[in-house]
Amino acid sequence: MPGMTKRKDSGEKLAQMSLCITDVAENRDKAAFARLFDHYAPLIRAYSLAREPAADLVADELVQEVMTRVWLKAASYNPRLANLNTWIFTLARNCRIDYLRRNSRYATEIDPTDIFNDMEDEGPGPFQLAQQSRVEENIRAGLKQLPREQSEILTKVYLEGKSHQQASDELKLPLGTVKSRVRLALKKLEVLVTR
Amino acid sequence: MNKSVNHPYDELLTAYSAGSLPLSQALCISAHLEHCQSCGQKLQRLNRVGSQMMQQLKPAPASADLKNQLLDRLDSLTEEQAPVESKASEPDSSIPRCLRQFIESRYEDLPWKRVSTDIHSVELCRDSNGARVELLKIRPGGSATTHTHLGDEYTVILEGSFSDESGLYGQGDFMVKGTRDKHTPVATRDRECICLAVTEGPIQFTGFISRLLNPFIRRSYA
Repeated sequence: MPGMTKRKDSGEKLAQMSLCITDVAENRDKAAFARLFDHYAPLIRAYSLAREPAADLVADELVQEVMTRVWLKAASYNPRLANLNTWIFTLARNCRIDYLRRNSRYATEIDPTDIFNDMEDEGPGPFQLAQQSRVEENIRAGLKQLPREQSEILTKVYLEGKSHQQASDELKLPLGTVKSRVRLALKKLEVLVTR
Repeated sequence: MNKSVNHPYDELLTAYSAGSLPLSQALCISAHLEHCQSCGQKLQRLNRVGSQMMQQLKPAPASADLKNQLLDRLDSLTEEQAPVESKASEPDSSIPRCLRQFIESRYEDLPWKRVSTDIHSVELCRDSNGARVELLKIRPGGSATTHTHLGDEYTVILEGSFSDESGLYGQGDFMVKGTRDKHTPVATRDRECICLAVTEGPIQFTGFISRLLNPFIRRSYA
C-alpha cells in the first residue's frame, strides 16, 4: 500500500498528535489544532476520496465536519480509552454516515448519532489497555502481509464503505466468498479472537 | 467462547464498524452492544482495522483556504455549541441509548397496537431501504404464530426472554432469521418479553388459517 510510514515514525507521530489534542482540550490551543489539521485533514480527504474519487467538495466538507467535532469534543476524548487515530477514524466514519443519510434519495428517520457514539465514551478496562499496543501492531503489520484478494475486500468495506453485497457485485464474486475473505483477513489480523 | 447464535456474526459487526450497514440493522447491533462486552471489545479491534487502513492511505493534501476558514470559525463554534452537550440521559433507564430517539420515557407509554391476544407492537420508524423497525411485546407465556420471512429479520431482546425451536434467548441476545427459517417464539411465563425487530420484507404465515389470511394481513405477527 502506498504512503506507508515506518512503525517508529507512525508511533512518534501519534505521540505528537496526542499531545496536540490534550493542548486543544485543556488550553483551546489553536496552533495545536492547526497541527492536528495538518496531519489528519489529508487522511480524512483520502478516506472520502476512496469512496467518491474526484469529489473534492465532498472531501472538504467531511474534513470540516470531522475537524469541527475534534475541536468541540476534544475534552471528551480520553486517550486511555481509544488511541487518537482510532478516535479520528470513528469520527470520520460517523460524519460520513451522517452525510450519506442527509444526501440520500431515500429518507430514513433514523438518527445515527446515538447509534455510533459508544466508542467515544466507553472503553476497555485496565486489562485490555495493556494489550492495546500489541493489538495495534498486529493489525498494522498484518495489513501489509494480507494477500491482495483479502486486502482488496477490506478496502472496499472500510474505505469505500461498500456493503458485502456491493463488494460482491463489483468484484464479481459470490457473496459467500466475500464474507469468507473478510473473515480470513480478520483472523490473520487477530481481530476476531475473544480474550 | 461466544455462543455465536446469540451474537451478531463477525461480518455484520465488521460492516457496522466500517459504517456500511443499513441504519436499521445498526440499531440492532448497537442495542446488543449495550449488553455484550465481548462484542464491544471485538468492535474496538475492528475499529482499529479501519483506523490503520485510514493511516496507510496516501494523504490527499487539503488547501490552505480550507484550513484558514476552519481556524477562523473556531471561536464561533465554541460559543454556539460547546456548552450544550446534553447529559439528559436517565441513568435508571434500561432503554438502549440508540432507541431513546424514538422512546421518550418508558416502554409502557408507547402507542402499542394489539396484534393478537399474545402480541402488541409499535412501529418506531422505517429505514431508507424500506426495512421496518418496530418493538414487539409478547405477554408472559404468549407466542407468535409460526411464520417465515420474505426478507431477513433482525431481533434483539430488550426485556424478558423467549424460546423458539432453536433455544432460549434472554436480554441482549441478537438473532437473524433468514427467508427459510420458520420459527415460533414463545415468551417465558415469568414476565412479558419486549423485542426490537427489524424486518426487511413482509412476513408469511405458515399455519392453515394464517395461510388463508395472508392476503389480508398487513401486520407482521398474528
